[in-house]
Amino acid sequence: MFFHIVLERNMQLHPRHFGPHLRDKLVAKLMKDVEGTCSGRHGFVVAITGVEDIGKGLIREGTGFVTFPVKYQCVVFRPFKGEILEAVVTMVNKMGFFAEAGPVQIFVSNHLIPDDMEFQSGDVPNYTTSDGSVKIQKESEVRLKIIGTRVDATEIFCIGTIKDDFLGVISDPGGAL
Amino acid sequence: MARRGRDDDDDEVEEEEEDEEEAYDLDDEEDDEGDDYEEEARGRGKAASRSRAPAGGVRKRSRQDNFIDDSAIEDDDEDEEDDGGSRPRKKGGGGVRGFFDEEAQVDEDEEEEDEGEGEDDFINDAGADIPDDDAGRGSRSRHSIPMRDEEEDIDEIERQVRERYARSTHIEYGEEAADVEQQALLPSVKDPKLWMVKCAIGHERETAICLMQKFIDRTDLQIKSVVALDHLKNYIYVEAEKEAHVKEACKGLRNIYASAKITLVPIKEMADVLYVESKNVDLARDTWVRMKLGVYKGDLAKVVDVDNVRQRVTVKLIPRIDLQVLASKLEGRVVAKKKTFVPPPRFFNIDEAREMHIRVERRRDKDSGEYFEMVDGLMFKDGFLYKPVSIKSIHTQGIQPSFDELEKFKKPGDDMNGDMSSLNTLFSNRKKGHFMKGDAVIVVKGDLKNLEGWVEKVEDTTVHIRPKISDLPKTLAFNEKELCKYFKPGDHVKVVSGVQEGTTGMVVKVDGHVLIILSDTTKEHIRVFADHVVESSEITTGITRIGDYELHDLVLLDNLSFGVIIRVETEAFQVLKGVPDRPEVVLVKLREIKSKIDRRTSAKDKFNNMVATKDVVRVVEGACKGTQGPVEHIHKGILFIYDRHHLEHAGFICAKAQSCILVGGSTGGRRGNGMDAADARMGALRSPASILQSPGRLPPRGPQMNYGGRFGGGGRGGRGHDALVGKCIKIKSGPYKGYRGRVKEVTGVLVRVELDSLMKIVTVKRDDIADTPTVATPFREPRFSLGSETPMHPSRTPLHPFQTPMRDPGATPIHDGMRTPMRSRAWAPMSPPRDNWEDGNPDTWGSSPAYQPGTPPARPYEAPTPGSGWANTPGVSYNDVPTPREGNYANAPSPYVPSTPVGQPMTPNSAAYLPGTPGGQPMTPGNAGMDIMSPVIGGEGEVNWALPDVLVNVLAAGDEGPGVVREVLGDGTCRVALGSSGNGDIVTVLPTELEVIRPKKSDRIKIMNGTFRGFVGKLIGIDGSDGIVKLDDTYEVKILDMVILAKLAA
Repeated sequence: MFFHIVLERNMQLHPRHFGPHLRDKLVAKLMKDVEGTCSGRHGFVVAITGVEDIGKGLIREGTGFVTFPVKYQCVVFRPFKGEILEAVVTMVNKMGFFAEAGPVQIFVSNHLIPDDMEFQSGDVPNYTTSDGSVKIQKESEVRLKIIGTRVDATEIFCIGTIKDDFLGVISDPGGAL
Repeated sequence: MARRGRDDDDDEVEEEEEDEEEAYDLDDEEDDEGDDYEEEARGRGKAASRSRAPAGGVRKRSRQDNFIDDSAIEDDDEDEEDDGGSRPRKKGGGGVRGFFDEEAQVDEDEEEEDEGEGEDDFINDAGADIPDDDAGRGSRSRHSIPMRDEEEDIDEIERQVRERYARSTHIEYGEEAADVEQQALLPSVKDPKLWMVKCAIGHERETAICLMQKFIDRTDLQIKSVVALDHLKNYIYVEAEKEAHVKEACKGLRNIYASAKITLVPIKEMADVLYVESKNVDLARDTWVRMKLGVYKGDLAKVVDVDNVRQRVTVKLIPRIDLQVLASKLEGRVVAKKKTFVPPPRFFNIDEAREMHIRVERRRDKDSGEYFEMVDGLMFKDGFLYKPVSIKSIHTQGIQPSFDELEKFKKPGDDMNGDMSSLNTLFSNRKKGHFMKGDAVIVVKGDLKNLEGWVEKVEDTTVHIRPKISDLPKTLAFNEKELCKYFKPGDHVKVVSGVQEGTTGMVVKVDGHVLIILSDTTKEHIRVFADHVVESSEITTGITRIGDYELHDLVLLDNLSFGVIIRVETEAFQVLKGVPDRPEVVLVKLREIKSKIDRRTSAKDKFNNMVATKDVVRVVEGACKGTQGPVEHIHKGILFIYDRHHLEHAGFICAKAQSCILVGGSTGGRRGNGMDAADARMGALRSPASILQSPGRLPPRGPQMNYGGRFGGGGRGGRGHDALVGKCIKIKSGPYKGYRGRVKEVTGVLVRVELDSLMKIVTVKRDDIADTPTVATPFREPRFSLGSETPMHPSRTPLHPFQTPMRDPGATPIHDGMRTPMRSRAWAPMSPPRDNWEDGNPDTWGSSPAYQPGTPPARPYEAPTPGSGWANTPGVSYNDVPTPREGNYANAPSPYVPSTPVGQPMTPNSAAYLPGTPGGQPMTPGNAGMDIMSPVIGGEGEVNWALPDVLVNVLAAGDEGPGVVREVLGDGTCRVALGSSGNGDIVTVLPTELEVIRPKKSDRIKIMNGTFRGFVGKLIGIDGSDGIVKLDDTYEVKILDMVILAKLAA
């Protein structure tokens, strides 16, 4: 799920940036530092949409670096248990398939793939229904439900299922859809 | 003996009867016929004893008649032993036993009738198995005819026995004897005492039986009971009021010596003496057991039928039958028995058997009414062997069937859940405190099966749970055996017991009490029992290290091969070997690993780009073509690449450096810490990609990364100093000259250093420190001018302005030396991105075009350097010498050879490998003094060590193996005689292709570096990284860094 929230961060700025563009530099650095990171609490920081407030800078003794407390608005993405997501399949193997929804990697185990879909190895490994009408392979888009998340310091990993109503392939790379 | 005859008669009568109608005769019959198959004497003994089976009614275990019952069983056992020996089987019943059996039987039968109810309950199914008429018949057959004369006696005894035990029986087997009541049964001072009597060893039972016989014969004996315990040799217990009674009873027995000591068993210990470990309490149908003996030893078996009376069970096994042997046996051919060969377990296939002309009969089991295939007296069904065995020949406790084994037993369509047996077995193996408050559980047995709830309270074996369904009472009490932990898909769990102990993962599927878990590390499915896991947010890989070796370490194995640890098991490592073509995984024990390879090396990719660790490469040739990932390790031109999409081998791919291409820069940011500044710098220098990467993708984390990882390389505005922070340096001048320490902070030209030896932080000028090579220093940043402050640069910059750009990167000699040639090619294409570089300092880069032309031939060196250059800046000179392999340098060494006579041979190597700089310093005359304390500042031990007579490992392709350096040539190459004693061929190799052999304690060594370079001595001890050396010449004892010691050829 995406959230638009306000976060705070202490930014350290090198003295050489002091000058008329200090603020710009600060924001640029903030973006670089923050966008794309992941925290267990908030999830992935997708984008910074604005800076609310930059506090007073504090010069750090000895280094000349200045620390600014910066409040910024950002869009974060955090997957939750039970959430329905659309994701792109990145890899298929006999144990299931991996899909990515933005920065989040989701694994769908073969136990969580409908029983009528079977793994077909070969050049393009895929899961196919017995009648061949539905196929999950690399680049397929699937709708899945997250049943478990594991949050590391730098990444969120999820387990998903497509063994439920209205879940499964939504568009096929090879299909005419 | 009259009695014996009678007994024999009995047996025969019985057998006839059995043949006609008895329920369990199938068993016996089978045994009788199939005895020849059962080779063990023991087996035969059992068969014999079993043929008297109806007497088994006697052996029904009941605690109530200790006296008789225990002995009855013992008696049986004794029979077996004896029968196995010399006596003819079947007719082998001893008079005593026969008598005894009857006694017991009479006793029991009567009692059963009298107080059958309670007792049956107690004994449970065993009691129920014996139909009353069986007992009746038994007594009829035994007593009706021959016993007249002694009948009175028997009645009398019976009466006595009953009197004696009536009281206790009554209490003990009252429906539910509470704990208190049980306590009341413990012996008190008023009760008869227990005496331990020494008897002839091995004749304990015999003695006991003799005593009983005596008791029967002579009514005046005042002993109460006699007990012989299986596990206690040399002693029997006699229950009596007084010691004199015991003596009286023992008098005249040949197995008890007159002088034998009689000791009183303290009251407290009396209960323990007679405590019988109830072994087969839970030996019910469907229990998993393991075989103790024979070809099936250790095999898992499932109990299909229990006959507590005869102490036998029928088990279901996967047969280990060699049909070939069986066929030849049936045809009457004599087969030489190969004892050593145990046929593998395999399901029995009737068709196969028929093909081999083995007669297969189909017979109905009288008991169960099921059909079995009979072959040679063996029963088969569904491919399984049904084998009646003695309870004694199976292990019933602590059986932990593995999944594989269970799978084999599983019939298709049989889900694990319905299979209560595995549950039973599992539950019996539960640890104490299995359930904790708050655990989610599910009821697996009884009326409330499938009810979910949470544990509220645990009392011993009773677990109170709060059911999930709201209408139910608040808490319900269950026996813990009725409960099973419950997990939902998506739960993150940790395995706490079993084979997979320690791993964590997310539950993917719940299949009854079996969970399928996706392991966090391997991304593989693991099947575990719900009982074996606990919910946990922790993420582990299980154990990640044994000894010094950790998961993902690069290690050197025994036979000079190497690999990356991809999995740590309980006692071994799985290592992906450094064989590029195909993934080769070996399981190695700790002791098979020689050492960890912890060296920063680099390799050249297909286009001769230097690849360092953490660089992202793409494999373009070979089996793993197309994969891409950061390089985790480099060794001997082999790259270990980590690809997160690669699921096998923990994501590691092994490829030749030559079949890869460098695609991106360092990806240090991903790891968050795994990289040092040098790498970052190199990465940035080399690869525009790292700079152009989208900011979001590899966000720097933490301040260190900011500089070390991403921008550090760019040398943006003097931040490079941060790279110095945390490094070990040495102060080379000023008041603290000679001290070593760690850089805490860098402020402009001042550096705050925490001294190792003084426990304080001092501020020194930056010029005063000699940093370790890896630290190197920021560079080509005139504006922030840190570069100029590094000790070795200042002199250089003005001297050879032209070369500065080239030298500069040289600050990190390792890479520099190695890289120079490449850069000459690679840099040109890089200049454009550099311009885009936001912080790119125009002045710095301004010089790049200049050096570009300058570089290729490296000619500038030859001219300007010799005299001044080399002499003045020794450190630098080493940097630059580096590359002996580059053709253009071939003649370069000559000019400076004379100027640095000592250092000379070392140069090529130091440069090629690294650091060089500080390593080289000690050798320069001017600095020699300060290095006495620490000959090698570089610390990595890669300074040139090559000296004659030193034992080395040759790494050059084709000539791998040990060798002895014979001569060090002017250009740094060495002539090495192969073979550990140096008697092989002489080859000329580059110093980079040599690896010193570290000496062990009491090895003869040669000092390769420092003021004692060239000295020969003996390593008399090792203290951490220091070696204690006794010099040959002076008999001085020196403490030197191990890295500068080399083993001397024998």
